[in-house]
Amino acid sequence: MTTGVVLIKEHAERVKPPRMLAVPFNFGNTLGEANNPDYQHEVLEATFALLDHNSGPVLQQFETGPIPDPIVQGSHVINTSASKRFKAEEEVRSFIDYYERWLSLNLGRTGVGLSTIPYGDFGKMANFLEGYIEGTTSDMPERPTQFSLAHFIRYCVDDLKSFCFESRMAQKPNITVNALHEWFWVETSVARLILRLEKRMASDDNEEIKAEAYSIAR
Amino acid sequence: MPKLERLSEDVRDRMLNFPCIEHDDTPWTPMFKPLSESNVALVTTAGFHVRGDKPFGVPEGRGDTSYRVIPRDTSPGQIVQSHWSLSFDRTQTYRDINITFPMDRLEELVVRGKIGSLSDNYYSYMGALRDVTGLIEKTGPEVAKRLKDDGVDVVLLTPT
Repeated sequence: MTTGVVLIKEHAERVKPPRMLAVPFNFGNTLGEANNPDYQHEVLEATFALLDHNSGPVLQQFETGPIPDPIVQGSHVINTSASKRFKAEEEVRSFIDYYERWLSLNLGRTGVGLSTIPYGDFGKMANFLEGYIEGTTSDMPERPTQFSLAHFIRYCVDDLKSFCFESRMAQKPNITVNALHEWFWVETSVARLILRLEKRMASDDNEEIKAEAYSIAR
Repeated sequence: MPKLERLSEDVRDRMLNFPCIEHDDTPWTPMFKPLSESNVALVTTAGFHVRGDKPFGVPEGRGDTSYRVIPRDTSPGQIVQSHWSLSFDRTQTYRDINITFPMDRLEELVVRGKIGSLSDNYYSYMGALRDVTGLIEKTGPEVAKRLKDDGVDVVLLTPT
């Protein structure tokens, strides 16, 4: 039998799974708060308690304190990094010490790795994306052959984001979720690069490239 | 999720109009033994997988209904997330994988005697699928069979 957590109560009302606890947290924050085991156990206790019901479906709301603000999205803010005249490549290189601090503090746990490019080469990766936008480069020699160009670009973007977010969290360990997203999308040259990349990909003749554009910069 | 009315219009519209499958009824299996004597497995739709496994993708734009096996003794440093959707925050998972994939919390519940035991394998899909045909016809039954073969009594489902 199953019991679980759902983030969109309206969907569970339509699907009608046997037992679901509806939580009011942001997408990606399923059990409420990172590094708060007591609170995560509260959510899990309520989820497992649904197994005690004799009939279903059971869709119960998890009662909690203030509901978190929605996450800042890249498409809803203005990036101001152009005024700094700081290239994404330079910015990435400037983050390496912070990223290594993150690795050290988190026993190697990192979201980086999908592109398979080592983080020491992320400046080179940023240069490849810059060249791709400008039309001076069409591919990166290090791209694994099992990834199409469109997928590889997506994984490069995912890795750059993870690298920047983790570097910032190492630099400012107490930064809030929304301050983190706002910093990235408003202040960084990497975000500006990604926003320009989205426009470049959306205008491509290749349907796979065009389809990926939507999925890199919201 | 924050109340729908607090979300931006485009996200709210996407959530309300998402083509999730609709059912008229629910398959129901009553709990037949205490949780403290049950074997529990974790199944997520967060798109996690062991580092080096094939990332999730979007074949022909229909969504990837495949799954990955994550052995229970995998360390958090060896788990990455390749979910295709951008509509969720990844940063808190970087801080603590348990916020979405509560592998340490489940181990603690066993130590506390709340859960009997844990399955040797956990499973991961990628959610936000616009076409779940492959999940219903193939990969869902495959994982269900694996769970039964593993002697699992209760499955904890987590989204992202």
